Amino acid sequence: MPMDLTVNGARHSVDVAPETPLLWVIRDQLGLTGTKFSCGIAQCGACTLHIDGRPVRSCSVPVAAAVGKAVTTIEGLSPDGTHPVQLAWIELDVPQCGYCQSGMIMSVVALLNKRPDPTDAEIDTEITNACRCSTYHRIRKAIRLAASRISAGGRTL
Amino acid sequence: MTNNDRTNPSLSRRDLLTTAATATGALVVGFWMPQRAPAQNAHPEGAVWAIESAVDEVNAWVVVAPDDSVTIRIAQTELGQGVWTSNAMMVCEELQCDWSKVSPQYASVNRDGREMAPAWTLEVMGKGATDPSGGGEPQFGSRERTGSSGIPNSLYRRMRTNAAASVRDGRYYLQLAGAEARERLLLAAAKAWGVPVEEVSSANSVITHAPTGRTTTYGQVALAAARTPHPNPERIRIKPPSEWKLMGTEQRNLDVPLKVTGKTVYGIDIKLPGMKWAAVKSCPVYGGKVKSYDFDRIRNQPGVISAIEFPMPDPALIRDRIFSGGVAVIADSWYQAKTALDKMPIAWDVPPQNAVRNTANMRAELMAAMDAPGTVRVNLGDCDRTFRNATRIVEATYSTPYLPRARMEPGNATVLVTNDRVDIWIGDQSPQETRFSASQITGIPERNVYLHMCHLGGGFGRNGNGPQAEQAIYIANQNRGTPIHLLWTREEDFISTTYRAMGVARLRAALDADGWPIALEVRTAMDEKAPGATACFDKVSRYYVPNYRFSTHTAAFHIPVGTRRGVGTPAHDFYRESFMDELAHAAGKDPYLYRRELIARTNLPYKADMIKALDTAAQMSGWGTPLPQGTARAIALEERGAESGGHATISAQVHTVAISRQGEVRLQRVDVAHEEGFGLVNPLSVRKQIEGQIVWFYNDAMHQQSNVTEGRIAENNFDTFLLSRIKEDPPQINITFFKTGHWLNGMGHDRCTSVQSGIADAIFQITGKRYRDLPFRNHDLTWI
Repeated sequence: MPMDLTVNGARHSVDVAPETPLLWVIRDQLGLTGTKFSCGIAQCGACTLHIDGRPVRSCSVPVAAAVGKAVTTIEGLSPDGTHPVQLAWIELDVPQCGYCQSGMIMSVVALLNKRPDPTDAEIDTEITNACRCSTYHRIRKAIRLAASRISAGGRTL
Repeated sequence: MTNNDRTNPSLSRRDLLTTAATATGALVVGFWMPQRAPAQNAHPEGAVWAIESAVDEVNAWVVVAPDDSVTIRIAQTELGQGVWTSNAMMVCEELQCDWSKVSPQYASVNRDGREMAPAWTLEVMGKGATDPSGGGEPQFGSRERTGSSGIPNSLYRRMRTNAAASVRDGRYYLQLAGAEARERLLLAAAKAWGVPVEEVSSANSVITHAPTGRTTTYGQVALAAARTPHPNPERIRIKPPSEWKLMGTEQRNLDVPLKVTGKTVYGIDIKLPGMKWAAVKSCPVYGGKVKSYDFDRIRNQPGVISAIEFPMPDPALIRDRIFSGGVAVIADSWYQAKTALDKMPIAWDVPPQNAVRNTANMRAELMAAMDAPGTVRVNLGDCDRTFRNATRIVEATYSTPYLPRARMEPGNATVLVTNDRVDIWIGDQSPQETRFSASQITGIPERNVYLHMCHLGGGFGRNGNGPQAEQAIYIANQNRGTPIHLLWTREEDFISTTYRAMGVARLRAALDADGWPIALEVRTAMDEKAPGATACFDKVSRYYVPNYRFSTHTAAFHIPVGTRRGVGTPAHDFYRESFMDELAHAAGKDPYLYRRELIARTNLPYKADMIKALDTAAQMSGWGTPLPQGTARAIALEERGAESGGHATISAQVHTVAISRQGEVRLQRVDVAHEEGFGLVNPLSVRKQIEGQIVWFYNDAMHQQSNVTEGRIAENNFDTFLLSRIKEDPPQINITFFKTGHWLNGMGHDRCTSVQSGIADAIFQITGKRYRDLPFRNHDLTWI
């Protein structure tokens, strides 16, 4: 069944079963492979992307739920990889294997959009993505760095 | 050579030449290649696998382009440990090129199968692990290129990524590779200028002739250098740490920019023209196979093409591990394949002797094995007599569960088999072995096997070499001409991986009147096939004891076992350091000073380094200063190789742990005193490894366990196999490096194992309860 999707500002018509997880439409049909598959049951967050600005675990969201909404993936976060969160990630050398980091960054961006200067407790509650390399120590520092840049009048999100 | 349109494969140099020849009708002399399938030429943006260089290489590791950009070929696999950067740093240090112009690229696994290594890489210079000017003490072992250990003599030497050995084993020949290239570039410039080579020097890719002030760049002379062999490569020397300029500095990892934009190409991201997807199910009880399956029930499902049964991967190809046979469904998309597979009835042929296994009966068998004589590994003094006469004996039995690595990227491989060639797109920690597997399964010679290497979404112990490659090669070989992308579900990934073996240990010590150990008896038991089954305790005690007996005991189990961030060390460290805490408490002594004294009484070659680590960590942590109720500190020694006088990695950690009355554990602070040996190649990478392994072993201490139920692993996704999140990361991690007089063993594993004993002892100090079996989440940690 053809469906219209808006992903990273571009409109696409996809012809898949409506219950197909959004993750697989994004990866297979649209070729946007920055969003990762890992658990398939919305536990780990590697597949996190935004629907209308809210972080969702796309492995467990049917594509039909994204019709008529704005989907943003890691590829659409900034045209040139210079979103303040991406820059903070580079500056503090956050990733190790990197596999979870697309989803991690999308979760952090959603948090900072909602709470530009989150407390540690808010970070603990809101950032529930799993990183097997356990880069959490640098993630927290990078969230702080990005937040400080944003509050100092750096690029708005 | 990249292309901005990911769906359009770009052209390699070969194709450009072929295309040019066709278009102009001209003949490119001495160059002919058969037409290749589009898939074989695919090169999406972000791909970093080996491609043929557009210009001649200076040597197999170094390509310098006319614009001075430098490609450094990396023969290990980047899986988060930073090898992409540290290997390049070792080459660049000697090459003396501009670091900002360096791009790493994977070395060609195919070439490695056809060419032998340059003679100048075959011998290590210097006097071993304690010689700062030498190449260290690489573990040459077998030089068989398709084996599982050692350093082969094929072109890129060791292509395995294991044993935390990329720096330890590769440093000397990677430094040599950079030096050989530098000297040839200097020779080429000297020849062009007609001056003695002794008068030219280079820095940051610029070559200078000081007497005349003339300069040129590497890019200008690279072609000449490529065509000028080194006249006496056996005389090349490498820089000792005192001369390092780039090595030893904190460098951000070169792979990070692509990892924050989603452009890194992992194996799972491969999409090729004409490619089909395979979802698979293996028999969940190891050693089993398919009895029957009913493809007719799913034949008409959307996208479904076929189903194919595959046999148990040949154990001879995967280090004797016994997995299972299974069945694959092939479809246009993976989700279609997986959905159809889930609906397909499958009956398994399960080995009955394996199906009766469960955690309880396996652990009971290990406990019983400890009562049998076992194999005595060391027997120093007279333990029996000392125990008979002892007035005070402390005994403790510990156990550790089966544990998988559970990397984030599920196992996958994309394989195209044609009649004369195999192409494999994969993140792989043993590509030389996979090349061999491909030739064995397809009958196509190794020289026609091409591995297009991808970064791995985690490793932690050769998870890159589950049987995903062997399964995919088998399936693709039955579908010649069609690229097959095999991808495991998370559940399948838990089935088709090796596990760190379950283990038990019984430690028994006799104490003298002052509380010092006068005899120590250690028994450990694991699966007989477990790496580390014989190394799960020290053959030379790190803590002084005049009578020492250590025996290993085994049982035969069916769970495939492998390495996991160490070979026996994480479990061993938990046993040893927990027991030292128990002895110190029994003796009424400070656990830091107790350890310190017992190390001081030994004659171990690196005892001063171990004491330095303990002293530094204790001082950093404010050891002995008051803490609030419900908070405790615990200290431990971590070392690998401290008894040998060769390579070693030595550190100590203090863990500050709070436990609420409700039993909630919080690792608040970790103080790490870590040696840097003669020098760390990239201290930033080392810091990241330490930070990550703290939480890794927090997971082991608190959460993770794999239970066996009816012969199968029970926990098969992240809802039951638990992973720490950011809220459990310690708020404070302090790291101090200190110099020692030897080269390091490695950083990729068995660092921070002491989180396990640290939390155990904090639980004891705060709650009064001593737990000796991991993970602690199984226990009541509340207190009043």
